[in-house]
Amino acid sequence: MKDYIATIVKNEKIAENIHAVTFDMGEEVAVRAGQFGNISVGGTHLLRRPIAICKVEGRLVTFCYQIKGEGTQKLKTMEAGTRLNVLMPLGNGFFVEENERKVALVGGGVGVFPLISVLREYGAQKEISAYIGYRNKGAVCGVEEFEKAKKFAGVTDDGSYGAKMNAVQAFEKDLKEGNRPDVVLACGPTPMLRALKTLVEKENLLCYVSLEERMGCGIGACLVCVCDTTNGAKARVCKDGPVFNANEVQL
Amino acid sequence: MANLSVNICGVELKNPVIAASGTFGFGREFNELYDIGQVGGVSTKGLTLEPRLGNPVPRIAESRGVILNAVGLQNPGVEHFIECDLEWLKNTGTCVIANVAGKTLDDYKNICAKLDGRVDMIELNISCPNVKSGGMAFGIKPESVEEVTRVAKSALTKTPLIVKLSPNVESIATNAKAAESGGADSISLINTLTGMAIDIERRRPIIANNTGGVSGAGVKPIAVRMVYEAAQAVKIPVIGMGGITRAEDAIEFLMAGATAVQVGTANFTDPYAMPKIIQGLNAWCDSRGVKNVSELTGTLQLNGK
Repeated sequence: MKDYIATIVKNEKIAENIHAVTFDMGEEVAVRAGQFGNISVGGTHLLRRPIAICKVEGRLVTFCYQIKGEGTQKLKTMEAGTRLNVLMPLGNGFFVEENERKVALVGGGVGVFPLISVLREYGAQKEISAYIGYRNKGAVCGVEEFEKAKKFAGVTDDGSYGAKMNAVQAFEKDLKEGNRPDVVLACGPTPMLRALKTLVEKENLLCYVSLEERMGCGIGACLVCVCDTTNGAKARVCKDGPVFNANEVQL
Repeated sequence: MANLSVNICGVELKNPVIAASGTFGFGREFNELYDIGQVGGVSTKGLTLEPRLGNPVPRIAESRGVILNAVGLQNPGVEHFIECDLEWLKNTGTCVIANVAGKTLDDYKNICAKLDGRVDMIELNISCPNVKSGGMAFGIKPESVEEVTRVAKSALTKTPLIVKLSPNVESIATNAKAAESGGADSISLINTLTGMAIDIERRRPIIANNTGGVSGAGVKPIAVRMVYEAAQAVKIPVIGMGGITRAEDAIEFLMAGATAVQVGTANFTDPYAMPKIIQGLNAWCDSRGVKNVSELTGTLQLNGK
C-alpha cells in the first residue's frame, strides 16, 4: 500500500454512465485481483473515492467507475496529464486456490470490473465461466475481456443484449446443465449477491463476494464501512474485505 | 530545527500533533504507511466498558468541505484494548491518549479506574453526537460536564484527564470552566457539530443514523473561535481541533490558545497529513525564527486592541 501520485493517461466513457480512467503510476504496482484504490479528486471533496482496480498493465492501472455523485462527476472531466493521489492497492482481493480449477464469475452493474481483474489474473490457468448481467444494451461493457473466458454469458434485464435474465439466473441455468464450478466469485448489487448466496447455499458451492460500502479512511482505521458477519460481529469492508466468503457475511 | 515539543499537564509530547479519536483506530493501520511514533500523540478510538457494534451503515457522507459521520462508538471494549493494543501502541513511542465514553457516571468512573496509570492521558468523550444515551447528554449542560468530570477524576490518581467538549452548546466558555471546576487537567475541542445530509432522490438522510457529526476543513473557523473563547476562560491547557489540514491551520489554533492540536478528517483525505503537518510546523517556525513551537500558544492579538 502506497499513496501514488498518478498521472491520467486516458479517461473516457465506455458505456452508459460508466467511464474508465487509466493512470500511469510511475512504477510497476503489484496488485491482486479484486483489490481497489482510493482516489482523491481534490478540491472540497475530503473523502477519496474507493474504486475497484480493473486492469494492470505494467505501470498503467485502469479503474472503471459509475458517474454517481459530485466526486465522480468531477473525475469524469479530468483530462490526460492530470495528477491525482491514488492510495493502493487496498483490501484483500480474490484468491483462487491451486485445487480450484473451474471458476464461475457472477457480476452485475459496476461489479463487473473487479471480475475482469480476476479473468486477467487467472484466465490462463483456470477454466473460467463468466455470467454477467447488465441493465440494458447501453450498459454493456467489458465484453472484449469477458469473451476471453472459456464461456461468457452476457445477459440483460430487458433482453436488449443476450438473454432476458439476470446474472444469477444465467449462472443457475448453466449449473442445472451440469457446468458446476469449484468456486464462485461475485460482485454486484446487493440484491444480486443475496440471490446468489441463497443459490450457492442450496447447491453447497464455495462462493466469495466482493462488497461495496461508503468508506472513510479506506485502510481499516475508522470503522465506517462495516458489514455484518454471520457470527454477529462487524467486519471492515475496506480492510477485512472487500472480498468475503459468502457464508461469513449477512447480505 | 525548531523545538516542537510541548508539555500538557506534565506529559511531554515530541510535537503538538495528535491523531484525533475515531479517525486513527489504535494506530496499526496508519503504521503500515509511516512510523506513527513520529506523531506527538494518538487519541484512541472511543473505548467503552463493553464492546459495542456501533450504528447501521451508511455511517458517512460528504458535503462540500466537510464530512458527516455516525459510527456510533464501535469498539472492542476497554479490556480488549488493554490486552491487545495498548502495549503495541506504547512501543511505537507516541503518547497514548485513551478516549473513553460511557452511558452512566459509573461507566466513566469504572473505565477511568481500569486505565489509570496505564496510559499517558485519558480523554473523556462527553460529546459524541452519535449515540442515543450518554455521550453527548453529559456534554451539554455545564452542571453535568462538571459532574462527569469530577466522577472520572475521582477514579484517577496517576493519569491526567482531558475533557473533550461538544460545540453543540450554549456557551463553550461556560462548559470549559465547568470542566476545569470538575478537576479536568486539560480540555480538548471541538468535537463534531451535529448535521444532516439528504439524498434528494430517496428523500432520506444519507446516513442511517439520520444525523451525523460534521468535521473537516469547513468547520475550522468555528473551531478556532471556540478554542479562543475556551482558552480565554480557563487556566488549564487546551487541545484544539476542527478542520486542521495543514501546518498553517495548526498554527492558527496554537495562536488562539491551544497547546497542542488534533488532526482527524485530514487523515482520510491524505493519510500522510500528520507527518506533513509536523514537517510544516518545523519549517514555519524555522523561517520565522520561532525556536520553540510552545511560544506560539495564545499569542493572538485581537484587532482594535
